Amino acid sequence: MLNRREAVSRIAMMLGGTLSAPTLFAMQTKEAGQKLTADAFVLSQSQKQIVAAVAEHIIPKTDTAGAIEAGVPAFIELMLADCYHKPEHNSFLKGLADLEKAKFLSQNHDGQVAVLTLLESNTKELMKGYQLSKVKVGDNLDKEASASNLGLPFWRLMKELTLLGYYTSEKGIAGAFIYEPIPGKFEAIKIKPGQKSYQY
Amino acid sequence: MNLNIDAIKSQTFDAIVVGSGISGGWAAKELTEKGLKVAVLERGREIKHIEGYETALKNPWDFIHRGRPDNIAAEEYWAGMRTGYTANEEHRYLFENDKQNPYIEKKGGFDWLRAYHTGGKSLLWGRQTYRWNKSDFEANAKDGIGTDWPIRYDDLAPWYAYVEKFAGISGQAEGLEVLPDSDFLPAMTMTAPEIHFKNEMNKKLGRPVTVGRVAHLTKPGPQHTAVGRGSCQYRNKCMRGCPYGGYFSSLSATLPAAMRTNRLTMIHNAIVSEIIYDEAGQKAKGVRVIDQNTLAVKEYYAKIIFVNAGAIGSTSILMNSKSSRYQNGLGNDSDQLGRNIMDHHLGAGASATVEGFEDDYMFGSRPNGLYIPRYRNWGKDKRGYSRGFGYQGGASREGWGRGVGAEGFGANFKESLSHPGRWNVSFGGFGEILPNPDNRFVLSQTAKDKWGLPVLEFETSFGPNELKMREDMMNDAAEMLEAAGFKNINAYNKSDTHIGLGIHEMGTARMGTSVKNSIVNKHNQIHEVKNVFMTDGAAMASASCVNPSLTYMAMTARAAEFAVSELKKKNL
Repeated sequence: MLNRREAVSRIAMMLGGTLSAPTLFAMQTKEAGQKLTADAFVLSQSQKQIVAAVAEHIIPKTDTAGAIEAGVPAFIELMLADCYHKPEHNSFLKGLADLEKAKFLSQNHDGQVAVLTLLESNTKELMKGYQLSKVKVGDNLDKEASASNLGLPFWRLMKELTLLGYYTSEKGIAGAFIYEPIPGKFEAIKIKPGQKSYQY
Repeated sequence: MNLNIDAIKSQTFDAIVVGSGISGGWAAKELTEKGLKVAVLERGREIKHIEGYETALKNPWDFIHRGRPDNIAAEEYWAGMRTGYTANEEHRYLFENDKQNPYIEKKGGFDWLRAYHTGGKSLLWGRQTYRWNKSDFEANAKDGIGTDWPIRYDDLAPWYAYVEKFAGISGQAEGLEVLPDSDFLPAMTMTAPEIHFKNEMNKKLGRPVTVGRVAHLTKPGPQHTAVGRGSCQYRNKCMRGCPYGGYFSSLSATLPAAMRTNRLTMIHNAIVSEIIYDEAGQKAKGVRVIDQNTLAVKEYYAKIIFVNAGAIGSTSILMNSKSSRYQNGLGNDSDQLGRNIMDHHLGAGASATVEGFEDDYMFGSRPNGLYIPRYRNWGKDKRGYSRGFGYQGGASREGWGRGVGAEGFGANFKESLSHPGRWNVSFGGFGEILPNPDNRFVLSQTAKDKWGLPVLEFETSFGPNELKMREDMMNDAAEMLEAAGFKNINAYNKSDTHIGLGIHEMGTARMGTSVKNSIVNKHNQIHEVKNVFMTDGAAMASASCVNPSLTYMAMTARAAEFAVSELKKKNL
């Protein structure tokens, strides 16, 4: 019916780029009738502060709005509650607990950047493990165990949801892109130096 | 007494059309324009063109989860989740809730995506529009697979041209036997890497590449503006419904055309449970309908019935229409009813990155891509499987989403994501699925839906021919991207897809040469119930590898003319 390209690439395109296979996996139910639970997810005030600080590190205020101004922290919490399950809730809360332990909020700017740089580097390894275990799920091995224990890593969730929240927000789009909801034509053009992306 | 007569009169029409989707809309247009009083019975709610498209003009930030399905939606739209897009916040209002509309996967998986509202899936289709070629109609006979088509390309060719003019098809004439040209509106533009790809394929592999042929108005004609349609706006948000009428749908085109005859009656919320068979007259006298909200049962009567409820829906109505003459479903002397479910198999292809073209960019969002016509088992090419596949795909520049998997954060990272990224290219195959009588559905003996109708039980799986073809679909795509000089090639062949993912469900009441091998004849008429016509995907005897909607349109217009001429000759 539709210009149905391969399903995964389609949703990725729709959201403006390439999403991780694990994230898509997390968004999908595999089989009919699979039971999903409404998992409660609420953050404390101090956890909210960490989320806001990390989001603002990913997309800081410059001459355009930052993540906080664009409403990203509340969006992240909403998305985790509404669109993710226990495994991601657990990995996200664990990530916050690690940052609390590292006294993230009491560090200065450079210290915080150093912590997040290390976190990003460690996440690369975690992502490998994540993908491996999902292969196992696909092969119907140990489905329950891995599904309940392993969520997308904290940093990956933070980054993806920060970018999604920011680049689809009114302030984020106004600052980052040329918003053309009704282009009216389609034509090949040459890019101008420093030209921002069109967003439709 | 008078009241009763009046009631029966108000429920009597010259023709009934069951369903208002892409083929039902055409039936309504053709039959009303030929002077018949027509009732279109739509099982779903009413959606009005333009004002009914509730998400069409929303901004990205207007969607609470920015488009993503939440957990509750994911649970309720479980079949929709398999597509990766139909359960999204932008589109969900036009698809059915799978939990409330259950079906049973008895053996294998089947993806059944439904759209119960005015216009049906014509609001949601991919708009890719291709004529079948000559050999598509001859393949069954030649291969000894399924049953021979009782019609050939030449029977449909004038009807293709007829529906194309009204629907408006944008494309490039190529003069290829494998992909006959339509009557085209101006073609859409290719991106710079796509032009490079087209030239390289021509030079290195001798394979033609063309821009997708789509039912979009690139240059509206008077026949389009007369029903209120305008130019495509290149928003590429088609599946939300198009307030500009930029693409062809029942709502934008055929139903307004039928409405202006003053002979169309639209009846919504009317689930046709069965066709009422008149044993004495050996024809159908009407349909029985359940109101989807009140459950009230009502009958409508007509001389002609067009069943256009979507392949599965249409056939399930026939199955449920039992009489002493037809105990196994209306017209089902051949036991072919419900068999040979086909689709196009997807999920095999390749993607790559493109080096260079940094200065090239596009303005606008093209609701279309490139098309690579079938070349396997064509001409001198012979493979270890039968039939073939085409590719759909294209090249575009990466957006902000590339940042998710990239390293870095902070001001420079943020600044870089506001500019276009590198070019990516991707092609996915659309493969022909062979008719197989074991790929079928039946009515459940026990499970009923909330309207008391039997739930459908599906048994579908890919056969060795499809699985073999998929290897080529993956490997050829990688080979072509490599030949074009593209990098980081990622070839894939997903093993967890099902029949139905293409939402091109076909077969289950196939056209054939005799009552012994098929349900409908060469006029889409049930062999021995001559006033019932089936012109949607159900009638397909094979699947080709090209998108099917144009063929439904052409078959419907052709059958409508036949039906009216038979009616005039008092043969119905």
